[in-house]
Amino acid sequence: MKSEKDIQETLKRKQIGESLPSVFVDDMLMSLKYYVDEEQAHLKIKSHEVCKTCSGHGCLYFCPVGVYTMAPDGKIQVSYQSCIECGSCRIRCEKDNIEWKNPRGGFGVAYKFG
Amino acid sequence: MPEAEKRKDEKLSFDVIVVGAGLAGGTAATICARNGLKVALIERGQNPGGKNYFGGTVYTHALEEIFPDFWSRTPPLERPATEAGYWFLSKTGLTRIMVDGGELDKKPSDAYIGMMAKFCGWWIAQAQSEGVFLIPKTLVVDFIRDGNGRIIGVQTDRPDGEIYAPVTIICEGVNNLLTQKAGLIDHDLQPETVALVVKQLISLPTETINARFGLPDAEHGMAVSVLGDISLGVTGLGFIYTCKDSVSLGVGVDLDQLDNHHIRPYDLMQNFLRHPQIAPLVAGGQMLEYGGHLIPEGGWSQMPKLYGDGVLVAGDAAAMVNALHWEGTNMATIAGKLAGEAAVEAHKRKDFSAETLKVYQQKLKDSFILKDLYQYRKFSHFLNTHHDFMDVYPNFLNDALGKFFTGFGKPKKQLYKGILESLTSRKPLLKAVGDIVSFGRTITGW
Repeated sequence: MKSEKDIQETLKRKQIGESLPSVFVDDMLMSLKYYVDEEQAHLKIKSHEVCKTCSGHGCLYFCPVGVYTMAPDGKIQVSYQSCIECGSCRIRCEKDNIEWKNPRGGFGVAYKFG
Repeated sequence: MPEAEKRKDEKLSFDVIVVGAGLAGGTAATICARNGLKVALIERGQNPGGKNYFGGTVYTHALEEIFPDFWSRTPPLERPATEAGYWFLSKTGLTRIMVDGGELDKKPSDAYIGMMAKFCGWWIAQAQSEGVFLIPKTLVVDFIRDGNGRIIGVQTDRPDGEIYAPVTIICEGVNNLLTQKAGLIDHDLQPETVALVVKQLISLPTETINARFGLPDAEHGMAVSVLGDISLGVTGLGFIYTCKDSVSLGVGVDLDQLDNHHIRPYDLMQNFLRHPQIAPLVAGGQMLEYGGHLIPEGGWSQMPKLYGDGVLVAGDAAAMVNALHWEGTNMATIAGKLAGEAAVEAHKRKDFSAETLKVYQQKLKDSFILKDLYQYRKFSHFLNTHHDFMDVYPNFLNDALGKFFTGFGKPKKQLYKGILESLTSRKPLLKAVGDIVSFGRTITGW
């Protein structure tokens, strides 16, 4: 059980995030070029049951292109099509519940400038 | 039997396989081909460079070491970094420590601002002109091993996709899946040793960039690290690079801090772009490209074993990054060269065992790469444990200098007292001194 101090600390931390301007991530993605693999998803949630046991849902925050969203029923949804293959979720998912592969050869993000 | 049909039954084999057509891979392949070896350079992207993303600058010393006639090959570079330094942001203020001219006024310049996807495309074209065989749109998924477990080739995601070579050089980048499969490292990247960087490239007319950044012309460019009121006290920093007709701006944050603080990387970047000192610099610009990439800032402590039987690893995959000096592209290039040389040496001896390939590690030890990575081995930990350098001190610096330059008509003893208080109200004096000493010890490697 969390102590009062922990709760205060958590609230303080969350304030940093809430104080930031909110960006519509799709505006960012407009600038990117992708070769989308329509047949195979290279990102998968291993078990949606495990997601239910996760308190932080860090994936909703750290992904730089907002691949992970939460459906109204609480299920984590994966828009692998907009993934830029950075690897953040592979390393950071605290439940190690993301099956992360590189897209098949030729697919995925294609930076023009870099 | 026609030539093509005859080949069907034969194994596709090369002298060397290089995985990943980035700076390290392109260089390793170039060195091998130049020494007469048959090289396959395998790239998972549509084209070389498509998966590459950085700040950033490339370094003349490294490029010239690979192609002495580098400049006559018309590389796609943006501006020379003729002005470099730090900006310290407070809520509304900005203190700049910039060096312009002097040591930085060289022709060619020591560092050039570039765009990595474009630059890598060009770098790999140079490698191909040396005889490197590029295999794009192909993902290496695993290794092929002989009965003794030695790596003798790679398995790709193409049908009948086995490719054989007695030595494979892994230059796969920061997501070191193959380095792990090769058994060169026994754990995955740790979130606290990896920074996630997001960046926007914003288009502006050349004259506007020159005017806003105080650059005389497009032959002058600025490379800036920004500390202070962008990372909100979490370990991270911002950067600005002026290109010819665009500006590259971004922020990097330690991965573990993002969800701890409920920060979304693009929100943090927007906060940076909206800072009153930053916003006017890019006002009216159009975003050309957004993207993100991990930087393996763990350095020494996160390095894999660099060689094994039939295998070598170079570049980001081997955590070759010096976070303080913004070095990474040059380490990748030189490490690629040294790995290439080790593969050539192994072919001369016709021995591809770890014992022979070990020469790569010795070469790295003799170069700045392992010397520096060892010296800075505590830097990543230092940043994780000294967040004040990102927040408290930049604010103090703005406050102190702001007070110093506005203390008109006041007794100056009072002024200095005010400056001291602005520090001690944030941090006990002894602790501040301790931080400076600790920083000194970290960068000297004691």
